[in-house]
Amino acid sequence: MAENKNTNAPIVHMGPGPGGRRGGPGGPMVREKPKNMKATLGKLFRYIGRNKYQLIMLLIVVSLIAVCNLAGPALQAEAISAITIDDFQLSVDFDKLINVVIAMAVVYVISSILTYIQGITAAKLSQNTVSSMRADLFAKISYLPIRYTDTHRHGDIMSRMTNDVENISNAVSQSIASLFSAVITLIGSLVMMIYYSPVLTVVAMVTIPLTLVVSTNLSKFMRKYFVAQQTLLGQLNGHIEEAVTGYKTVMAYSKEEASINEFSRIAAEYRKTGIKANIWGGVMGPCMNMIGNLGYLLVAAVGGWLSLNHGLGIGAIQAVLQYSKQFTRPINEIANQYAQILTAIAGAERVFDIMEAPSEPDEGKNPITVDEIRGDISFKDMYFSYKPGEPVLKGFNLDVKQGQKIAIVGATGSGKTTVVNLLTRFYDIDSGEIRIDGINIMDIPKNTLRHAIAIVLQDTVLFSDTIASNIRYGKLDAADEEVHAAAAMANADVFVERLPEGYETVLAESGSDLSQGQRQLLSIARAVLANPKILILDEATSSVDTRTEMHIQSAMVALMKNRTSLIIAHRLSTIRDADKIVVLDGGVVAEVGSHEELLEKKGAYYRLYQNQYAGIAT
Amino acid sequence: MKLAKYLKPYWFFVLLAPLTMIGEVIVDLIQPRLMAKIVDEGVLGKNLELIITTGLTMLALVAVGGLAGILSAAFASNAAQRFGNDLRNDVFRKVMSLSLQQTDKFTTGSLVTRLTNNITAVQDIVSQIIRMFVRATMQFVGGIYCALRISGSFGIILLIALPIQLFLIFLMLKKASPLYAQVQEKLDRVNSVVQENVTGARVVKAYVKEQHEIGRFNEANTNLRDINLTVQKLMATLSPILMIIMNASVIAILLIGGQEVQDSIGVIGGIQVGDVMSAITYVTQILMSMMMVSMMFQSLTRASASAKRIIEVLDSEPVIKDGENASPTGETGSVTFKNVSFRYPNSAGRPVLHDINLDIKKGETVAVIGATGSGKSSLVNLIPRFYDADEGEVLIDGRSVKDYNLDTLRHKIAFVLQKTELFSGTVAQNIRWGYPDATNEEVEQAAKIAQADDFIRSFADDYNTVIAEKGASLSGGQKQRIAIDRALIRRPEILIFDDSTSALDLGTEARLHKALRENIQDTTIIMIAQRIASIKSCDRIAVIENGTIIAFAPHDELMKTCETYRDIYSSQMKNGGNENG
Repeated sequence: MAENKNTNAPIVHMGPGPGGRRGGPGGPMVREKPKNMKATLGKLFRYIGRNKYQLIMLLIVVSLIAVCNLAGPALQAEAISAITIDDFQLSVDFDKLINVVIAMAVVYVISSILTYIQGITAAKLSQNTVSSMRADLFAKISYLPIRYTDTHRHGDIMSRMTNDVENISNAVSQSIASLFSAVITLIGSLVMMIYYSPVLTVVAMVTIPLTLVVSTNLSKFMRKYFVAQQTLLGQLNGHIEEAVTGYKTVMAYSKEEASINEFSRIAAEYRKTGIKANIWGGVMGPCMNMIGNLGYLLVAAVGGWLSLNHGLGIGAIQAVLQYSKQFTRPINEIANQYAQILTAIAGAERVFDIMEAPSEPDEGKNPITVDEIRGDISFKDMYFSYKPGEPVLKGFNLDVKQGQKIAIVGATGSGKTTVVNLLTRFYDIDSGEIRIDGINIMDIPKNTLRHAIAIVLQDTVLFSDTIASNIRYGKLDAADEEVHAAAAMANADVFVERLPEGYETVLAESGSDLSQGQRQLLSIARAVLANPKILILDEATSSVDTRTEMHIQSAMVALMKNRTSLIIAHRLSTIRDADKIVVLDGGVVAEVGSHEELLEKKGAYYRLYQNQYAGIAT
Repeated sequence: MKLAKYLKPYWFFVLLAPLTMIGEVIVDLIQPRLMAKIVDEGVLGKNLELIITTGLTMLALVAVGGLAGILSAAFASNAAQRFGNDLRNDVFRKVMSLSLQQTDKFTTGSLVTRLTNNITAVQDIVSQIIRMFVRATMQFVGGIYCALRISGSFGIILLIALPIQLFLIFLMLKKASPLYAQVQEKLDRVNSVVQENVTGARVVKAYVKEQHEIGRFNEANTNLRDINLTVQKLMATLSPILMIIMNASVIAILLIGGQEVQDSIGVIGGIQVGDVMSAITYVTQILMSMMMVSMMFQSLTRASASAKRIIEVLDSEPVIKDGENASPTGETGSVTFKNVSFRYPNSAGRPVLHDINLDIKKGETVAVIGATGSGKSSLVNLIPRFYDADEGEVLIDGRSVKDYNLDTLRHKIAFVLQKTELFSGTVAQNIRWGYPDATNEEVEQAAKIAQADDFIRSFADDYNTVIAEKGASLSGGQKQRIAIDRALIRRPEILIFDDSTSALDLGTEARLHKALRENIQDTTIIMIAQRIASIKSCDRIAVIENGTIIAFAPHDELMKTCETYRDIYSSQMKNGGNENG
């Protein structure tokens, strides 16, 4: 399901070319259309059901309010009949009027109090539902496999978290209450009308089929444009996200105009669809109003005739008239809420889509603890492909002894990073196995496995927090001294201490205010603090200049002592003291050996080495 | 409101919407009178014919009113959508003109929200205002007029009820508006935590910090929920209070009305039951319109937070202003730095660059080398004016970069960034992005130079392979080579590599350099690199340390004269250098 969804996602092109695909209504591009309304609704209600008491409370209060609302017209009718002057009684019945008015006052006060309670309960219900949904969604996202985040648009995941959940919130707080109240009002007014005059009730009901036919047909139109509108909005937002996050590139190629033009194109289409959607939305109200009035007229006419010929009281006619109005109102309301409910369900579907995506498998039961792991690693016959049919590793074999320093080199795209992805179980191998201390890593609980490993990536990840907290990510309870020591070891202390607020400097969004090299030094400090059994450096110093790297080198040597280290690097100077150098080529190990051994062999490594040190000089 | 000018071009719609709405509202106002007539004269007067004729009149009127309503909705939505569209285009255009220091300050995440959610919020409120505000006002005025026409004594009720209601609404909104700003703030926080976790998923997992992150998120999430609850609880008090006022008025009308009906017994043209009934309808309408207005103000307060954020973007003038000169220069491809100093805006402390002097000739290949944070990137960022020098000037072809038309300037340059940005689309589209009119042969030719042809062909759909989520499926080196390809296809006069070969293995990099030398001799190349092996053969190498250039000479000369360079060299060549001489 999830994979399908991704391929269906609208693709927004930046530049020239054929331009963005248009999300035609009904086409495979439409994402906002609920696919399985019933199932989604069921899941949604289970969610809302978590706050059972608030829900029950809300429903009770809503029904009471509906009852009050029904009592209102009845009392008003009484009051009017008290003022009515018949031929026999030539004065207004003030005693009755006062009594009725007092009753009315009581009903109104109660209904106001109930409305207040309803407001509070609805707010609590929707906020609790939404916040627990957000929390669940986030927890789910945290445990999704890396493959999921690698293959789904981040903007899309974000928008499910915010917009979709927000839409559900609105629907929960408003639609549930009003739908329920609509049903109660509907039933209630029906009962009251029958009480006053069964004949007039039948008359009032005549317009209902008409209401239904008109509203369903109109809704169909509305929905068509509405879905198209949402799809276009998604495209528009996708374009914005790309253009803004890749702004420097846009700027470097002076593509601002092209980007603006593409934007305007999508925006114009969005505008057109939006106008149509709104116009159809606007037709609904007047049509319902018209039908409502037709009903009113019928009741009045028949009522008048009845009162002429069968002496039906004016109060009763007045009451039925009022109730017939109340009768059509809920139907209108449901129709009006249609769009909102539809968005919410579409949103809920997208949310549940993530919720139901399979979590990272973590079936390991081996009771080994992090402290017990020594760090022997063996890779056996590993096969792996990101996409079926395009294997990246084709029978990778390697044995690593505890405490060894292993370097992996090879051409770009030869599968070096993939080895890391598999060892940390970011991805799982297709066949073959990886063993740590003789235990298949599939059997080791993921937490244990990953606690034993620290990894420094080429693309550093920093959080918008202080520098100290970013380093502390390796070990949350580390003392300040430990943090400073780790920073010093990674040679990050020099630049950190030059910052006006030192370790307490708050980094901008993902640390964008530091240079790439500085960011790498911070991630190294983070790994130092984590004190792992197995250390993985994946091009961890590619943006650090070589002299700084040399300064770190001694620290690195200390850091790697007594732990198994895997180093991926292009710079051969970084790796020459490795115990074993593994040359990867075409998904298999081409050569293994120490620096000297491999040079003597005059194979692939020798050629790489020549390239680095002599190749260009000529 | 500042954004009002965006409605101006659509004054026609803005004007027509309320005008047609007048039709709708008038019908709404007449309707109760007709209903009253049906009851008073028809039902009470036992005049069935009158019921029918009045009823049909009413129905016709309602049809006309409905039509007016539909028209008004059409006009209003035209106005609002066109308003939103123009505003959206303008804000996007503005963002596309901002300088990097400004987008850095706004942060990309916040710019995206401003362009999406905030604009939608403002557009919605405009459509609401056009439709509801006008309608409410007319209903209000019309309701008062009609109610007073029935009997002046009903006016007293309104005179008491209205000020109370106004005061309460005002009070409530005053309390709520700062809270809405807080809601926005907390929402931003939730978003940023999610953003960080989605993009940084690998690190979170590698350090087994899922629980920690969930804790961080829950804190932000709870804060958001609490502030939302506070606002909603406050707002929940408004509607019952307004209801009490409304219903109290209805009771008052019944009492006063009852009295007046009593008084007018036998008086021809005096007040009747139907009049009391329609008075109730009018007063309800008046107070409902007030309630509508109060809801609107509520949305308005919420939207004004959005509007403020949009205006902030619209009001920021690009720091880097376009120069006038678009005329071609005589020679092409020379770059000169004259006494340049630069510090990042809002950063305290020493300047990143100072006293930079550099003269790069046409067709020269120049490397810049130096320690992490020494200012290499900043230096090349000044050439296409990503940032402007604080002192001194940067000249291209003898003309200050500030005098160039930005478009002309940036067309001379192809800049390969340190961090590769690929866009959704096929590989070919991404490459052609550099030069849309490139033929397939040109694309492939450039790909060959960039050493990208081979791996692109290994994909199932070769050049038509679709790049997913910003190239997540590609390795770092592959992304960099596509970016280089994109730069080459522009046939720039000046080609800048901002450490953009860092993820290439040495063999590939060597082949890239060789291909560059053979194929584009006329292009000036400025490259930042870490590996001396990569830059050894450059015409000249600038060594940068602590923000200034300490040496600028060919490799052999630097080896003799520059100690820092020798240091860098030996850090990379320690043993290998001797062996391979």
